Amino acid sequence: MRKRLAEEEWEPKILAFCCNWCSYAGADAAGLERRQVPPTIRVIRVMCSGRIDPAFVLMGLLEGADAVLVTGCHIGDCHYVNANYKTRNRYEFLKEFVDELGLEPERLWLSWISASEGSLFAEMVRDVTEKIKKIGPSPLRREWKK
Amino acid sequence: MEEVKAKMSRYYLAWAKDDAIRKKGANGGFVTATLVSALEADFIDVALVVKKKSVYEGIPVLTNDPEEIKESSGSLHCVPLNLTKYVVEYAAKKRIGLPTKPCDARGIIEQAKRRQASLENVYMIGLNCGATLHPLRMREIAAYYGLDPDSVVREEIKEGKIFLVSDEEGKEKEKWMKIDELEEKGYGRRDACKSCVTKIPTMADLACGNWGSNDEKKTFVDVLTDKGETLFKNAVDSGYVAIEEAPGKGIETRQRIDAGMQKRAASWKEKMDALKALSRSERFEFYVDALKNCIHCGACKEVCPVCACEEDAKCTGLYDERDSYAISMYNLVRIFHLMDSCIHCGQCEDVCPVDIPLTLIQRRFSERMQRHLGYTPGMDVTKKPPLYETELRWSAEAE
Repeated sequence: MRKRLAEEEWEPKILAFCCNWCSYAGADAAGLERRQVPPTIRVIRVMCSGRIDPAFVLMGLLEGADAVLVTGCHIGDCHYVNANYKTRNRYEFLKEFVDELGLEPERLWLSWISASEGSLFAEMVRDVTEKIKKIGPSPLRREWKK
Repeated sequence: MEEVKAKMSRYYLAWAKDDAIRKKGANGGFVTATLVSALEADFIDVALVVKKKSVYEGIPVLTNDPEEIKESSGSLHCVPLNLTKYVVEYAAKKRIGLPTKPCDARGIIEQAKRRQASLENVYMIGLNCGATLHPLRMREIAAYYGLDPDSVVREEIKEGKIFLVSDEEGKEKEKWMKIDELEEKGYGRRDACKSCVTKIPTMADLACGNWGSNDEKKTFVDVLTDKGETLFKNAVDSGYVAIEEAPGKGIETRQRIDAGMQKRAASWKEKMDALKALSRSERFEFYVDALKNCIHCGACKEVCPVCACEEDAKCTGLYDERDSYAISMYNLVRIFHLMDSCIHCGQCEDVCPVDIPLTLIQRRFSERMQRHLGYTPGMDVTKKPPLYETELRWSAEAE
């Protein structure tokens, strides 16, 4: 018999921002290599990780994401000169912000993934999914449902 | 951009030669006399001063009339205004001279970093600041003293005591109490001022105050910049101001008072931090509870001395009335943007119509970030806000 929707196991929703040149291609590579990627991830492609405004991350959390991944090219490999340095700078702020707001630090991730690192991408998504399953749904999401 | 020289400190005791100015001024009328002399010598086009309406009320006035400047002489403790936004509005067109509390000066410097005002056009005469009081809180104190709040004609803060003088049917009544005692009972200074550790405006051009002065009608002046020196020299040369070398004891006294104030502020900061003992999830509940009252009037943004976004701001742009988020984007973006730049002036809490404890919230967020970055906003115009800092390290690393 099919389980009722409420009885089904809770699956986290993970929002990933991937840059066009490295991490999105990395995610693509994960698929090409037939690697298992948990279906918890929702990818948004941006041209560069430097385009990811901290407000996007905050809005993602408010809209119900249990975790947000910010991914981009490795430091020094950015296709737009130095934009991922800016990402790193903003991430510092986001990290402190999310922590102070009372969300678990595991809800925010930054990782550098190149176009050939499909395995790394799949591994990261598995890792994040596992950790988020442990800590449960985001409190922001709970409030939003009320 | 103007280069900031290493701070030179030179100490003087100064007072206005004109008896009328000296009598009306809080500590010898030095600030008034300096502004008037700067106006006459054409260093500044206008002066920005706060004109007293009553003990609880003052209005900022932009004027080139020396009489009006003289009229507004004297200190107002119950007008917790921040003059930064007025400076921004006029500094592009006019050279402005104004008395600044430390938070005014820090706000102006932050605006200069954001290119909203040129420091070359602004002459900041800093005032040592123990605290300001919210007018409503001062009325409460008057009532606590047993005076009719509406009949209070004079207020003064001296040696850690708040003096109020009321005039009921021609009879003057003076009452005073120690600030510490009042604050134990829940009356007293604004939250932001209680926990403020910047008491001497070392970022302004001159720093004036009565700390370290040996006479009630003499001001202790600390000349901090070249611009400050020009102002000071002009005031002396034009015969408006008389000076004498500050006694070594005065300098020590001033430092001691400052250190004592800072220590008290630090302990208040600890005491007032309601979130310190809470767990992570309790903290989250606190923020949601506090910020869900927000009616999105935008008053905190309008009054914020650091914010320079004007109408097309990200915080208002990303907010939608139809959203039903736990915490609105307006608040999240505003808090986020102020993490590196908040100067803890408390203006936002003063204007908030629903009494959100914004002083505490902004302080919680920004202080940990500023500690993490090792950056203090509003002190040095050459240090850019870290959130805006563009690193070009890539090219350096590649070589």
